[in-house]
Amino acid sequence: MATGTETDVRTGRLGRAPIVVAFAAVQLAAFAAAYASGSPTLYAYFVVGSVAVAAYALDGSAFVVGAATLGSVLLVALGLPLALFVARQQPGLIVQKALNPDVHRVLYLGVYGPLLAALASLLFGVPLARLLADGFPGQQVIESLVDLPLVVPHSVAGIIILFGFGQGGAFPSVSVLGTMTGMVLAMSFVSAPYAVNAAREAFESIDDRLEYASRIHGASRFQTFRRVTAPLAVRGIVTGGVLAWARAVSEFGAVAVVAYTVEFFYLPAGESVRAQHAPVFVYNTYLTGGLEESGAVAFLLLAVSAVIFLIVRYLTSDTATTGGVV
Amino acid sequence: MGLSADVTATFTADGADAFVVDATVEVERGESLVVLGPSGSGKTLLLETVAGFHDHEGVVSLDGEALNGLDPEDRGFGFVFQDYALFPHLTVTENAAYGTRYRDDHRDPDDLLAELGVADLCDRYPPTLSGGEKQRVALARALAVRPKVMLLDEPLAALDVPTRQALRDDLAAVLDDVTAVYVTHNRTTARAVADRIAVMRDGQIVQTGTPEAVFERPASPMVAAFTGSNVIAADALRGVVDVPADAMTAAVRPEHVALVDGTGDGGDLTGEVARSVREDAAHRITVDLDADDPRAELSTGAVADGGDARLSLFVADDPPAPGERVGVSVPPERVTLFAAAE
Repeated sequence: MATGTETDVRTGRLGRAPIVVAFAAVQLAAFAAAYASGSPTLYAYFVVGSVAVAAYALDGSAFVVGAATLGSVLLVALGLPLALFVARQQPGLIVQKALNPDVHRVLYLGVYGPLLAALASLLFGVPLARLLADGFPGQQVIESLVDLPLVVPHSVAGIIILFGFGQGGAFPSVSVLGTMTGMVLAMSFVSAPYAVNAAREAFESIDDRLEYASRIHGASRFQTFRRVTAPLAVRGIVTGGVLAWARAVSEFGAVAVVAYTVEFFYLPAGESVRAQHAPVFVYNTYLTGGLEESGAVAFLLLAVSAVIFLIVRYLTSDTATTGGVV
Repeated sequence: MGLSADVTATFTADGADAFVVDATVEVERGESLVVLGPSGSGKTLLLETVAGFHDHEGVVSLDGEALNGLDPEDRGFGFVFQDYALFPHLTVTENAAYGTRYRDDHRDPDDLLAELGVADLCDRYPPTLSGGEKQRVALARALAVRPKVMLLDEPLAALDVPTRQALRDDLAAVLDDVTAVYVTHNRTTARAVADRIAVMRDGQIVQTGTPEAVFERPASPMVAAFTGSNVIAADALRGVVDVPADAMTAAVRPEHVALVDGTGDGGDLTGEVARSVREDAAHRITVDLDADDPRAELSTGAVADGGDARLSLFVADDPPAPGERVGVSVPPERVTLFAAAE
């Protein structure tokens, strides 16, 4: 009756959700077995093999089986380290780090600094995105400048910032080296392109005629932006902000060069404290305390980032802004 | 006095030649002017230029007062867009009321929605509405600001035929006492809505006049063809009309052409039925005129190939079958002659 079962799967009579749950359960069990037996390598082969079998059962065409098999190799490269990273943590060490006030400060700064950078990117990036969406003479030069940080190595970005705004650069009264200002500047430098490009795509997807309709019936440019353009682009703008925030959280190179440790106002304690940006702190812990300790801190950083990311995703998938129709 | 626009505007797009709209339109107060033209003739661009969305040279004035230099929001217009352009994130009521906060003298949007028969949709969002419903909401949004001039861009183009007919009647009533510029490529709509028609082609107005004048006395073969006239080689009508030597092309509306009994006596043309197509209330008959009609002194080969000697006409019932020989009468006073074929 093997063919009968197969046909059921292909016609979807089994339903999608049960298939996904069953597949995930099998993967989890296989990973646990491989990890417990001390040979995670076996699990890597199992993933590739099981994906190929699943692709054959669900679709059967050689093309899909081939594509799924090749894709599963990439998934192993991305997912297996993450799974082993989580599995190999020592819960005691994580709890110890989670209760450490130094780590609290790092995590606080690791969320707070990128938040400032993301807000700065949006504040100055959204108006630019609006202009780029309309187009103007010399636009390509501006676009290239906005995208430049995407291709500049990040340590180089840090050096560039020090040349521009450090000693002997512009705004001598504002010090950037080892300050909060410098850290936010370095983060904005690398994350602003994400905010600008996401907002710009959102603006470009809005029909010109909606803005025409707003203006011809009496709304000024500002009123049109507030009542029509911005509400319709809000999801893209928020996405841009989240991308910029996430990029800033993960920034190491530019921040390590410009602001290795910074002093900032720590709200829970109600006073100014010194700390390092989380990725810098993780690297520092790795150098001084080894893989185990840095892994525990990295785990906490990863968990906090994931929770915030999921919260923002949940909030922005809310349909209230568009009446549940867009 | 009313709306007057004499504008020149140049539009460029990547990979295309610049398109120039160079047009003059005058609309008396309370009058509906229909700008009729094929796709790509620049009708929409003209309308958007009058509305103030595009840079232009020349003058747009209302009751003698220049409007150029004013932003769109300060011109006091209302606009109904082809694809409605309703705000998807606002309810029907919020859409209809959109402009009322900016104009002191405005109408109650709820009353308007009720008048247009869509009051029951108040709390719905545009993406959930049908085309006809969207169009009524768009109309309410424009009328709510008590526009000095209504600009309408193909407001019926995207609707199915029954909805279009129903809305066309409502629209004609609404526009009765409103100064309006109405852009369309549909000659039936144009004739139903217009006090006057301006025919547009390649960015320019090629004829302006009453619907009667434009439909019955087209200024060029292009206007004749676009308004639905038969456009044929003038030589083909030599038997019934006094054709001057320089006349190349002739136009006659299908409703003036009639089938007659007999095959060629008494000054009528003869031909063979090429097609018979049932349209709403009548049959559209296409007749290939005889190229060797002894009275047609054929000076060019144009008629001989058949294509330029083809007349359409309507019969109510009992249509002749394709291939049948028929006589055709063309009243000479209904024929318009053109010197050049364009």
